Amino acid sequence: MLILFFIAPAALCLVCLAFRRRVVNRIALLGFALAYAAGAVLVLIGPAFFLLPEELRRYFDFDSLGKLFLLTLAAVNLGVSGYSLFYLANVNLSREKDTLYTISMLLFLVSMTGGILSSHLGLLWVFVEATTLTGGMLISVERGKQALEAVWKYIFICSIGVALSFIGVIVLSLGSKSIGSLFFADLYAGAGAINPFLLKLAFAFILVGFGTKMGLAPVHAWLPDTHSEAPSPVSALLSGALLNVAGVGLVRFHPIMTGAGLEPFAGTLLLVMGFLSLLVSAAYILSSENYKRMLAYSSIENMGIVAIGLGLGGPGLFAALLHMVVHSFAKSGLFLTTGNIHRLAGSKQISDAGALLNRDRKTAWLWILGFVAIAGLPPFGAFFSKYFLVGAMVSRGLAWLAVPLFLLLAIVAFGMGKSVFGMAWGRYRPRGERDFVPEGAAPAAAGRRLSVWAYLPPAFFLVLLLGLGLFIPDFVTRLITDARNAFVAVGR
Amino acid sequence: MTDILAVILGTTMLYVYATSRIEGYLKILALQGALLFALVLFDFASRSVFETVFLGAEALGVKAIAIPAILFNLVRKNEVRREIEPSLPQFFSLILSSLVFAFGFIISFWARRLAAGLAPLAFGVSISIIVSGLLLVMSRKKIVTHIIGYIFVENGIFLLSLSVASEMPFIVNLGVLLDAFTAVYLFVVFSNRIQRAYDEDRINALQNLKD
Repeated sequence: MLILFFIAPAALCLVCLAFRRRVVNRIALLGFALAYAAGAVLVLIGPAFFLLPEELRRYFDFDSLGKLFLLTLAAVNLGVSGYSLFYLANVNLSREKDTLYTISMLLFLVSMTGGILSSHLGLLWVFVEATTLTGGMLISVERGKQALEAVWKYIFICSIGVALSFIGVIVLSLGSKSIGSLFFADLYAGAGAINPFLLKLAFAFILVGFGTKMGLAPVHAWLPDTHSEAPSPVSALLSGALLNVAGVGLVRFHPIMTGAGLEPFAGTLLLVMGFLSLLVSAAYILSSENYKRMLAYSSIENMGIVAIGLGLGGPGLFAALLHMVVHSFAKSGLFLTTGNIHRLAGSKQISDAGALLNRDRKTAWLWILGFVAIAGLPPFGAFFSKYFLVGAMVSRGLAWLAVPLFLLLAIVAFGMGKSVFGMAWGRYRPRGERDFVPEGAAPAAAGRRLSVWAYLPPAFFLVLLLGLGLFIPDFVTRLITDARNAFVAVGR
Repeated sequence: MTDILAVILGTTMLYVYATSRIEGYLKILALQGALLFALVLFDFASRSVFETVFLGAEALGVKAIAIPAILFNLVRKNEVRREIEPSLPQFFSLILSSLVFAFGFIISFWARRLAAGLAPLAFGVSISIIVSGLLLVMSRKKIVTHIIGYIFVENGIFLLSLSVASEMPFIVNLGVLLDAFTAVYLFVVFSNRIQRAYDEDRINALQNLKD
């Protein structure tokens, strides 16, 4: 299994480098996405079989948490790879760039897989660092002034975050001298013996570091810029998969705090950062004029919800895990749809992208349904994660927290809804012209046809979300419950 | 001996705030690399030969020679000599960094009780280097200075991991190297192009993306 997830993509990179042909790149990208998805399913249903020595294997943990996010990542990657066919066909990259895109995509996937599966804190950190590097390569594929600025902010802010989380790792290793190992299993077992002060310090550093990566306020600065400037499939991957990797890191770290009896401390920090993220996104989403930025702020909001769930612990963890999965699908779908809109409207400004229904009906509906899914309206999965979150608040005796939660969620939903519906039904107003343009007078771009690859992936995510919402499949509930139980039990 | 080296290392950060010449920063980077190399050598007993060679090569080869040389080259080519108009006046930042340095000593006194097997002075000084590196990033505007500030933070982390030393697994060393890789990567890929894309190489130019 590890060979499939780690060695195969490396080999494919070499193949792509050797040929530097577009066809080879496409086959590598799509073929690997399929193989990867098959592998993730195989891990789920059967005992994973390994060919590698025990020594190497213990660094990777195929537990229920790992399986859950492996599946999520596989699904997101499948959609994004499919959409890449459309993206690359339209963007006219040179052959070298095209190869670079493919290779970075594969390497990014490897580093995220590593982050999800590592059972060793140090190794997890290395993979999180690796996602920063490979992600930077991806974002900079389309060169331009603004893309450059976005990459710079991404790499610089994230690398400082990563450096801070490394201080957390060092401090933890100082505090856990008696354990002498950074494997999560050992840390859980010996959590009581860790110096509590150093553990608190370590958690604070790691929270800031991984929080940077995850986009929690107040260390979210890179996220809106990067998500809005990256190519759409890359934004989808960043939002739908990368944020989860840091989230998984926090989920894995959290039981150490519980085990050491420091859950209140960790919970408070997480709740503060979670609500701060909601506040920030509510404040900015109302005034956002760029639809990709708007989605980026929505990502900050959703990561805030995840942090709140994690901070509540117990049943909140279930809500957080479910929400991470649901958000991945919804946000990937939405970001991919922005690729279509950008293609149609030629701009990322909300004001330039009006009258979508007249320009391209399918894209408009994908856009509207995607919004409905992320806002947590009933038929889709996000409704249930938020429902469980409130349940967790009540069971923790913190029911009053639901009031600010609903208030902020309502503001965010209103801000997003205003723009989304405005884009779908509103009038088209060319920039600079403030005169009335009659409805239906769509611009010349209306004649453009998008290929089937532009619609299929976002629709695929919507179907997944609908499935998660209408009847949460048994294996998903079981995975999430297992993961939750594993991490709650460990903390006791 | 380790303690003396650590204190010298901390003092170099004061010089950083006293000067505004970028070449001065670079000389300090090289000096810090050399000092870290010496620290690695003095700690020889607690490490395997392989690790000592690896860490020594990292400190001397990468930190003391390669990174400063690359940066020096670029600074010369682009003719950025000074950090002008810092967000925080020179004088205040010097005072601030002195306070941070003093704070490092307080930490080290107090860290003595914290855990066994810790080099307290190096621990405290490393924290002060990390903090003042971050301060440099926050208070200056040139991209080059930001990168240099980041490398200072990294040097601090290197010292921190040395001070915690004894049982730290090999993976930590790996992490340090990866960080250095980031810095170089940052620089080679970007500053080359940022220079072309923006007339000014100041961070002020990077303000198109905002709300």
